[in-house]
Amino acid sequence: MTQRHAIAIDTDNSPPRTARRLRWYVLLPLCCVGCLDSLPGKPTEADRYRRPDTIMDFATLYKQHCSGCHGADGTLGPAPPLNDSMFLTIISDAEIKQVLDHGRAGTPMPAMNQKQGGPLTDQQIEALIAGIREKWGAKSSATSESLPKYAVSVHANGQPVGDPIAGKQTFADSCASCHGEEGRGDHALNDRGFLGTISNQALRRIIITGRPDLGMPNYQEAGEESGAGKPLSSEDIDDLVALLSSWRSAETDESK
Amino acid sequence: MKSALMKFLWWFEHRLELRKTIWPVMRHPIPRDLRTQVGWLYVFGSTAMTLFVLQIITGIGLGMVYVPSAGEAYESLEHINYEVELGWMLRAIHNWSANGMVVLVVVHMTQVFLMGAYKYPRELTWIIGVLLLLLTVGMAFTGQVLRWDADSYWGLGVGVAMIGRIPWIGPQLVELLMGGPTMGADTLSRFFALHVFIIPGILFVALGIHLYLVVRKGISEPPVPSEPVDPATYVEKYEEKLKTGDPFFPDVFLRDAVFIGLTLLVVVGLSAILGPKGPSAPPDPTLMQVEPLPDWYFLPLFAVLALSPPSLETAIILIAPVIIVAALFLVPIFSGKGQRSPRRRPVAVLAVILFLLCYCVLWQLGVQEPWSPHMSAWSGEPVPESMIKGRSPKQLQGAAILQEKTCRNCHALDGRGGQRGPDLTDVATRLTRDQLVRQVIQGGGNMPAYGKEMNRDEVDALVSFLETLKPDGYAAAESSVVTDRSD
Amino acid sequence: MNTASDDQQANPNATTRRTFMEWCSWLILGVGSVATAIPILGFFLGPVIKPKSDEWVDFGPLDEFPEQMTRLVDVLNPLRGPNDGMTGKTAAYVRRIEGEKFQIFSPHCTHLGCPVSWFQESGLYMCPCHGGVYYEDGAHASGPPPRGLYEFKYRIDQGRLMVLLGHLPTLQDPGSAESTGKTA
Repeated sequence: MTQRHAIAIDTDNSPPRTARRLRWYVLLPLCCVGCLDSLPGKPTEADRYRRPDTIMDFATLYKQHCSGCHGADGTLGPAPPLNDSMFLTIISDAEIKQVLDHGRAGTPMPAMNQKQGGPLTDQQIEALIAGIREKWGAKSSATSESLPKYAVSVHANGQPVGDPIAGKQTFADSCASCHGEEGRGDHALNDRGFLGTISNQALRRIIITGRPDLGMPNYQEAGEESGAGKPLSSEDIDDLVALLSSWRSAETDESK
Repeated sequence: MKSALMKFLWWFEHRLELRKTIWPVMRHPIPRDLRTQVGWLYVFGSTAMTLFVLQIITGIGLGMVYVPSAGEAYESLEHINYEVELGWMLRAIHNWSANGMVVLVVVHMTQVFLMGAYKYPRELTWIIGVLLLLLTVGMAFTGQVLRWDADSYWGLGVGVAMIGRIPWIGPQLVELLMGGPTMGADTLSRFFALHVFIIPGILFVALGIHLYLVVRKGISEPPVPSEPVDPATYVEKYEEKLKTGDPFFPDVFLRDAVFIGLTLLVVVGLSAILGPKGPSAPPDPTLMQVEPLPDWYFLPLFAVLALSPPSLETAIILIAPVIIVAALFLVPIFSGKGQRSPRRRPVAVLAVILFLLCYCVLWQLGVQEPWSPHMSAWSGEPVPESMIKGRSPKQLQGAAILQEKTCRNCHALDGRGGQRGPDLTDVATRLTRDQLVRQVIQGGGNMPAYGKEMNRDEVDALVSFLETLKPDGYAAAESSVVTDRSD
Repeated sequence: MNTASDDQQANPNATTRRTFMEWCSWLILGVGSVATAIPILGFFLGPVIKPKSDEWVDFGPLDEFPEQMTRLVDVLNPLRGPNDGMTGKTAAYVRRIEGEKFQIFSPHCTHLGCPVSWFQESGLYMCPCHGGVYYEDGAHASGPPPRGLYEFKYRIDQGRLMVLLGHLPTLQDPGSAESTGKTA
């Protein structure tokens, strides 16, 4: 159509003007073709499929693999919060990696490493650890010396170090106001359903950090609010874990 | 100049004699009755054909850059999408035009069916039309296969598994279809041949016969209730009408021109705005994190496959299509004369409404696919905060166990999570503790039994959490007397 | 035509010869067509006439499979062609029950062949297409599948797990552990 029109003009008009017009007829469609690149339907790199094991973005990894239990923003999930500066101060990267790789035996925390049947590669686990640090807490440092250490100490037979008898007293002073006498209150701890689904390591961690997102005080607040008036010591925490552990075995014995 | 051009053209005309062959066909008379608004119902067939031509043009373009090899097809699609100049646009037009073609073929058929245009003397036109519908669906499916991504790969796997159910010869047919024992290069090449040579070839021939019949038997006049079709008199009456008819080209064709133009604008517009479809995940048989979905026109079939009872499923898969296709072919044989007007054919109108209803309902279900577990819900859908606050340590462990045991893949909390099982947001108003324990351990009602996977403590914690799931002010479920006694 | 009927009346012998020649013409056309059709048909029916049998594939040393665990293993399909690319790979779920007791499952759902995902935490396989669910031992747990997961034959060879697989398992042609005809 356009071409025929241009030829018609060619016969009637002076050459320069025709050439100009002709150029427009040719250029206009070309311009349009150029514009097509800015159309919304043109796929961009963001539309390109990415294999799940190549995703390294922390936000995506956390949302897909962690938020279910640890909460959308690392708090207020059923599992202990990751968005917790005290927790991130006492735990080392190697310890986080150990938990991510192998899961936590005796708790609902599953192994996340592909080698252990999980969904993530080594690099993705590194990316998660780096992201947790960057977003929610600095590296565990020397300043953490004032804090109780993270890892639970155990005897050779696997029983936690600590004295359950002494733990009883500490419990009555610092915990019973919420968890009830002998741990049988509203927020009961002395219960198979709880103790049978949580590990001593996780117990120690929650005693240290508390659950700030749910209003449970940490070891400092709990100790200071109690009769003792000072933070719980590392030994106090050992004793408490030993006490809870002894309740767990007692319950198991009962059921036998 | 002008006379020179005319001389040039006449040279050809003297030899081709198109004025004696094509031109009368272009000018074939169309009944005057189409002059009213009803004439707009006669534009769908020509538009579907136009889209078929568009498919050929864009298909040829894609054929120049697509590599029909299982090892390279996926990369070549990405190449077309991201690197070839306007390759994405060509893929988009091919996709949207294909969708349009499926829609228009069905609309055209519905119009022909409702207006009784398939009756004497146009029965064969309808039968060829049904064949054209099947070929169009065949093009749609084989085209989906050529989009060699995970949807396409596993979609083909579903097709293969369906054929594998045919008694006796199923396994042999599967190998024939795949071109070997696995879905790979030989399979893709087979479907390339089907999509590019075999089906379009048959489609061309069938379309030629269809058009020949349309011109030979004439466009059916809009139905009038007082004039049922009587084979003895119909042709005579129709010929009478044609004496005052309008020529197809250009008079009647103008409407087609408008509708074709608008349709092309819609196709190009959709392509420009929404772009091409896929490719999604690569067709990697070792990549399990895929959730294959068929293209939209097959979603009702997808729903039927999920919802039919297992005992009848093979029969439904293998026999229902045969019955439906046979019924379509036989329509003009069993009702080839008599009343044409939809006002006097309630059964025909009801049949169309019933079909559309079934299709839409199944389609909607196919979109929601409530039967499919949400594979990442267990680790990716947080427990609503309102269900966490104020819960006891044991209940919190229970909530974590609910997530860890992948319950959320099938059960939603506050609407988030799988839809396969009931939403658990207020489960405590429906089930007592004992009933919850039994349901978790024994399963039942389409739920797997978790007895082997969970110890007593885990069940205890989980059920303690579930017991808290009820709206404020609602009473917990109470067991009936009968259940109490049986406990 | 005319001459033919004239000949017939005039000379019966000539007719016989003519008829004979006619028959010969048809016969030559027929033989030629059949001779051409046989290889072409044979080509199209090739996959059925000479089906390939499954082959033993090395899945790696036994210590890569912890007891009481299920792992997805990617291998190259022994029946792959030169142009298969990534579709020449195949996968199987390996469940090591204890010692040398294994179960090797095809990831293809027995309903309509979609890829099932394994969930270690709940001990279930789930299918994304129509919601088929299987237990850890491959048994049907819920949803539309008509049977449990397809299983492959395995053997231990010098401390390595060998699995017999290749063809795409379907309902009437299941995995090597149960198919009758198609073993190497």
